[in-house]
Amino acid sequence: MSSIKRRIFLCLVGLLAGLAAWPAAETTLLFQADFPSYLIFSIFLGAVFGIFLGAFFGSGDGIIMSHRRSIISGVARGMVIGALGGAAGFFIGQAALFITGEYLIHSMKKFNTVGMPISRAIGWAFLGLFIGMVDGVRSGSWNKIKVGMIGGISGGFAGGLALEYFRIAFPGTVFARLLGLLIFGLFIGLFYGFVEVRLSYGVFTLLNGRFKGREFLINQKKIRIGALEKNDIRLEGYHNISDSHALVSVKKDDVFIAKAGVGSILVNDDPVDEHMLKYEDVIKIGSAKLLYQYK
Amino acid sequence: MKTGKKALISAALVALLAPWTSSHGETIRISQIDPSMLLFRQDVKVYVSVTDKNGAPIRNIGKDKFTVFESADGDSFRPIPAIKDFQTMANYEDGIYFLLLIDNSGSMYLDMQQRLTRNQADMKFRHAKTAISTFLQSMTNPRDRVGLASYNSYYESFSSPISDKTRIESLLGQIRMPVGEEGHTEIYASLSRAVDEFRSVKGRKAILILSDGENRPFYTYTGKPHRDFGTKIYSYTEPIRDCQEEGISVFAINFGRGGERKDIHLKDIALQTGGAVFDAGDGSELALVYSKIVGQILNEYLITYSATMDPADKKYVKIRYAADDGPIQAVRFYFSSTVFGLPLKNFSLLLLLPFLLALVLLWLLSRIRFEKKKGVANIEVLNAGTARAVTKSFKLNKGQTIIGASRGADMTIMSGITQIEEKHATITFDNKKKKYTIAGDGDFKVNNKRVKSRVLEPGDVINVGGATIVFDDGEVD
Repeated sequence: MSSIKRRIFLCLVGLLAGLAAWPAAETTLLFQADFPSYLIFSIFLGAVFGIFLGAFFGSGDGIIMSHRRSIISGVARGMVIGALGGAAGFFIGQAALFITGEYLIHSMKKFNTVGMPISRAIGWAFLGLFIGMVDGVRSGSWNKIKVGMIGGISGGFAGGLALEYFRIAFPGTVFARLLGLLIFGLFIGLFYGFVEVRLSYGVFTLLNGRFKGREFLINQKKIRIGALEKNDIRLEGYHNISDSHALVSVKKDDVFIAKAGVGSILVNDDPVDEHMLKYEDVIKIGSAKLLYQYK
Repeated sequence: MKTGKKALISAALVALLAPWTSSHGETIRISQIDPSMLLFRQDVKVYVSVTDKNGAPIRNIGKDKFTVFESADGDSFRPIPAIKDFQTMANYEDGIYFLLLIDNSGSMYLDMQQRLTRNQADMKFRHAKTAISTFLQSMTNPRDRVGLASYNSYYESFSSPISDKTRIESLLGQIRMPVGEEGHTEIYASLSRAVDEFRSVKGRKAILILSDGENRPFYTYTGKPHRDFGTKIYSYTEPIRDCQEEGISVFAINFGRGGERKDIHLKDIALQTGGAVFDAGDGSELALVYSKIVGQILNEYLITYSATMDPADKKYVKIRYAADDGPIQAVRFYFSSTVFGLPLKNFSLLLLLPFLLALVLLWLLSRIRFEKKKGVANIEVLNAGTARAVTKSFKLNKGQTIIGASRGADMTIMSGITQIEEKHATITFDNKKKKYTIAGDGDFKVNNKRVKSRVLEPGDVINVGGATIVFDDGEVD
């Protein structure tokens, strides 16, 4: 998948995550009065919300690489970390909302049209901060955590603001919260797409064969390449690729490729055991050719 | 007819506000509400002040005399089963916020006997200034804050509450004598404005109003719309309601000559907000005001209860006090909105559809393989770098394909930083061997290596003048 397609894809995943989380959020809200306290309510609702967002974003990497095992493990880990991040985010967001709201409701004349949307947006931004981190924590990438935090804060703020103003513009609508959640998911996806390339250590582009044009971001310190499912980059549909073929590792911003098994690796047509990659090196693994670039 | 209607509305409002004051003149006031432990412990703390008709605190009231209610809409209140914690004589060190609201109408420049005078020392305004100085000196807590505003036809703010008392004294000098139509007395409207200014302040709040006469609205006496209030005439019940909502007590100091010139409702305002009225004498009464307020605060009751979970953006708390001659009560609200807001009024199971829709769409996304189809051999610019790629891709359907800066080349790439020749490189197809070979005089690289000639393999990367071009033989296997 090329960069543009990847960005569009991540935005779609974000939108779908918001769409999926909406019914769960609405159902939980319906039972607010049955919860014993705001604390338990916040943790529960945050966890439910986080599970949905975590699951959808967790599936993203696997889907991009058409990697079924990655999808399943990504969803599972996304749900667990999403539940934790959502609970923490909702709790802190709620605390921020209580503080801002209680201050502004007594001090601001235009509370309903300005104070409330701002308070709400601040609460959502904190929720977004934690939800955005989920996918980064899942994939163990500090860069991804940073990207997610930026996307989450801005998406949360915009989503919370949109929700309030949509409600003011169309009183009685049932779709205000849906709009807020869609914007929330979209922004997280959008930021992943825009910033992850910049914050990655580089990108491999497949140059030939069936999946020509597909890109693999180097956003982890170690990336395994091979024919088996367990690899981070699985090269299916190419010849002469061993189960575990190559290992890409990042050492102080330099990217190295090394043999991980029996198969050979060519860099710019020369066989190598280990090689520090430079811009536009062409790596040949089996019949697959990859171009290394950074932006 | 108009007056009758007004009287009726006033009577209705008074009846509405009646619960704050018992027939013995006892008043209950929620001076502060503290929901800061709502999220952590579900606690709401309410500071309640109960005062007699002189504004003196009523001490030693038992916990059983208070009942707490909560409401999500301000109409239907639910009793809270138990008070979690009850404290009297709450230790209070935070300081008090005062707003001094000084009458600056024309009559303040007469003497105490309502006579014209040229001697400034005899003017009521000078007496008021002295009284304020006495008040400022009587303040003992360094955390106290004082603000200053004046009123006549117009409300004018000089300072929001600050701790620098000498600054407030010097600001008194900036209040200038009114001219022309400025000299009317908008007491009620100005009090409401003062509450507005005071809203952003959190903590114990009191307004001290120094007045020498009746409410004389600008519009009523001039027939012209007011600059700020238009044709609206404020009723005395409005500042009462505003003050009660914010837990502000009003203390009034009368500079009028005897009873006939006093504003009859200023007393109601003071009593129903838990304050008191004084007649101005030598200024020592203002020192009394300070000790009275401090006394009130030191004798507040701190009621802690467990909040309900009813969804609401703000929740109303009602404290009912069973006074000897019937219950009196006070209401205030706190912010209680949650991050996602209120639940939908019309919940439907159809809402589950978006979830299913999202799952189906995600599944469809995962089915898209983005696979390349078998095609003809081609070269494609992956990244133009500093050069400008006029041709983005080219099908290799001729024996010879020229890459160069010439308009006549098959793939035209204009020079950027690095010079590109007119005919930089040529790809030749050998029909017998079915092989493509690149050769040329220009400086170019294949797979990051400088070459003059090379047989191309699918996926080889050609770099011409900084532009990255990928060779593809069209096969997928």
